Amino acid sequence: MQIQIRSWQVGVGLASMFLGMLLVFQLRTETKIKQNLPTKNINSLATLIKKLETDRTRLEDEVNRLRRYLHEYDKDDEVRSLRMASGLYPLKGEGIEVILTDASRELRAYEDPNLFIIHYDHLELLINELWAAGAEAISINGERIVTRTGLSCAGTTILVDTKRIAPPYIIKAIGDQKTLKAALTMPGGYVQTQILPYELGIFIEEKSELYIPAFKGSLVFEYATVVSEEELEAALSAEEKGTGDKREVLPFEDLFDFLNFRENGGESR
Amino acid sequence: MIFIPLLGAALGVGIALFLPYQIPITFAKYSALAILATLDAIFGGLRAQAEGEFIISKFVVSFFVNAGLAVLLAYLGDQLGVDIHLGAVVAFSIRIFHNLSLLREILFKKFTYKQ
Repeated sequence: MQIQIRSWQVGVGLASMFLGMLLVFQLRTETKIKQNLPTKNINSLATLIKKLETDRTRLEDEVNRLRRYLHEYDKDDEVRSLRMASGLYPLKGEGIEVILTDASRELRAYEDPNLFIIHYDHLELLINELWAAGAEAISINGERIVTRTGLSCAGTTILVDTKRIAPPYIIKAIGDQKTLKAALTMPGGYVQTQILPYELGIFIEEKSELYIPAFKGSLVFEYATVVSEEELEAALSAEEKGTGDKREVLPFEDLFDFLNFRENGGESR
Repeated sequence: MIFIPLLGAALGVGIALFLPYQIPITFAKYSALAILATLDAIFGGLRAQAEGEFIISKFVVSFFVNAGLAVLLAYLGDQLGVDIHLGAVVAFSIRIFHNLSLLREILFKKFTYKQ
């Protein structure tokens, strides 16, 4: 029996062999990709977060309760004003309430939706403006703003310290109503430069009675210790003498090097 | 004639199982295109053979040109941020189905004439 090998058999056969090899290699890669993706873990992580968040709320309530209990003991005026300043007392007084919302109209195809939503820096600037105008206490969505509060952006939400908040953002500030409102609405001020260009929603209301809750977070200092005035003076003057005018502004020889550094994403030559 | 590709594929799988190689994740998209191009070439070749007009040089050239163009398009799409590789995927799929339907017609005809 004579076996006749034709060209199509060689061609198609070789192509099929190639296909078989490619399929195996591809499947190896795909299974590896699937193993690496933590799809299985997402649900358990979500439950963990939920649990930790409820735990935290419970502990915060306990801290609050204990602090209230403590209040009974210090009726001292100085302690009282310090506690007011550090946000440990819930406060009441006249002030303004600001409500910020994302732009409400429908966007056109070419418009970047990112420009039409409230970002954490809108809140940051607003708080700064209110402090500058003499606000005595501020809260955002029920979270008291204290000296150590930081706002940050976490994906689609905004964090006040570690608490997630969502729109609408309600900012309450205790202080002189007229001054606070004027500080925001003055020409070239916050509303004109930060809100109107992006068509964000803002409602400012003067309130004769505002309630601002106490700070619920921790006030523990882990790294900082208190020094005396004399020690501070000595340390500062020694610092000045030590480095004096030799202080280098940039750790680079020239500006070009610095620009190069930035373009390389932080890697020096 | 159906045994040739099956035999080839089995041989390929057998060889690949002994090789420790795997495609880097960044190239996975391109090799998927290569798989489609190969499938297209196999069905195209079978159809041409069934029609009696298989030319090995045409087969080889069209395979490499198609695969090369598909990968090039996908690369271009990656650079431009547009999913052009989907276009190659659709085109290959349509060609595969088309070839398969032609092949089926021819085989049906052959079978019914024999009877």
